[in-house]
Amino acid sequence: MKQFLCLFLIVIFSCEKDDICADTVQTTPRLVIEFYDLTAPDNVLAVAGLFARGLDSGNAEGVPINNEVVFTRSKISLPLKTDGSNETEFILFKNYDVVDGVESGNRDTIKITYNTENVYVSRACGYKTNFEILTFSITEDSDQWMRNSDIIIYNITNENEIHVKIFH
Amino acid sequence: MKMKSMLKYFISLVGCMIMCMNLHAQQDSIPTIDSFVIKKKYGIRFGVDLSKITRTLLESDYSGFELNGDYRISNKLYIAGEVGTEERTSITDYLNSTAEGNYLKIGSDYNMHNNWGDMDNLVYFGFRFGISNFKQTLNNYTIYDTNSQTWGPTEIADPKTFTGLNTGWVELMFGFKAEVLTNLFVGVNLQMKRRLYETQPDNFENIYIPGFGRTFDSGKFGIGFGYNVSYLVPLYKKVK
Repeated sequence: MKQFLCLFLIVIFSCEKDDICADTVQTTPRLVIEFYDLTAPDNVLAVAGLFARGLDSGNAEGVPINNEVVFTRSKISLPLKTDGSNETEFILFKNYDVVDGVESGNRDTIKITYNTENVYVSRACGYKTNFEILTFSITEDSDQWMRNSDIIIYNITNENEIHVKIFH
Repeated sequence: MKMKSMLKYFISLVGCMIMCMNLHAQQDSIPTIDSFVIKKKYGIRFGVDLSKITRTLLESDYSGFELNGDYRISNKLYIAGEVGTEERTSITDYLNSTAEGNYLKIGSDYNMHNNWGDMDNLVYFGFRFGISNFKQTLNNYTIYDTNSQTWGPTEIADPKTFTGLNTGWVELMFGFKAEVLTNLFVGVNLQMKRRLYETQPDNFENIYIPGFGRTFDSGKFGIGFGYNVSYLVPLYKKVK
């Protein structure tokens, strides 16, 4: 009888974790972009002083992206809107710098349109959003540093692989 | 010859006396034996689960009611069952859903307790087969997105109901029942359950199953408890 009660208590308390969403659970994936050499399309080419901001309608300054810092790299992960608008814009800077509060660097804009699907994860985490990319475009301007793009994976379900290649 | 007939007479006299003594002894001992014959009450016991009523009154996200009963078929064995209804809202950081439905459990209880005299208390193991018909409503949820600081969390409040869900399970029970007043019993029991089958809602899961209780990510097991008050309607008495 004592063993039975023990087993019962273990079952009660060991399963409380079911209600707490662990950080390790695959969350709503971000868009993963990798930068390639325009002249040698098979070669990854890092972008000096790469920095990104979200671009919201009526906010030219842009929206800060969590954990996003300036640094030279060849890959960037960007969070897409899940609010049903089905499009997100970002400002990507090359050679970004701030001197005395004045920003410098080459500023280009990208726009992604997509469909979303909310997929059940668990009782603790609820639903995450997966995306299906419809279009990916680089807004043209006079000194565009991103020249071309290629969608590699249309269905964004995780961050393990590159979804879009950008050539520069 | 004379001796023979006298012997016959003597034997028959002794035999007669022994028989008379026997008869006498029997007459004497009848009331004595009767006081040691233990007759047990057999009948139908009806009850309610007080814990469900209490939780209905105290918890805003729960309402439930259960009728239970058993019928004694032998000294140790009872046919037992429960019928009930439950509504339960489960809330986590990201998800809010309500399950609502009815259930039926049928099985038996085996009393392990050896009662003194004519007492009928129970320390029992029970076995049940349970079925539940229910529906689940996904009330609202917040998209799970650890990168949501940029655009802000997305909440979706578009209630969606999944109907026609059903589940079957087996249940092991351990409990007590004590006769506190004549024919009035109070009891507690613990229940360990395992689902045998279930219909899962599309792009969702069964969070709570009426009669079974909450589900766990780790498997098909469940737990429960009951606090019962029941009344025995005695139908007849029987020696054990």
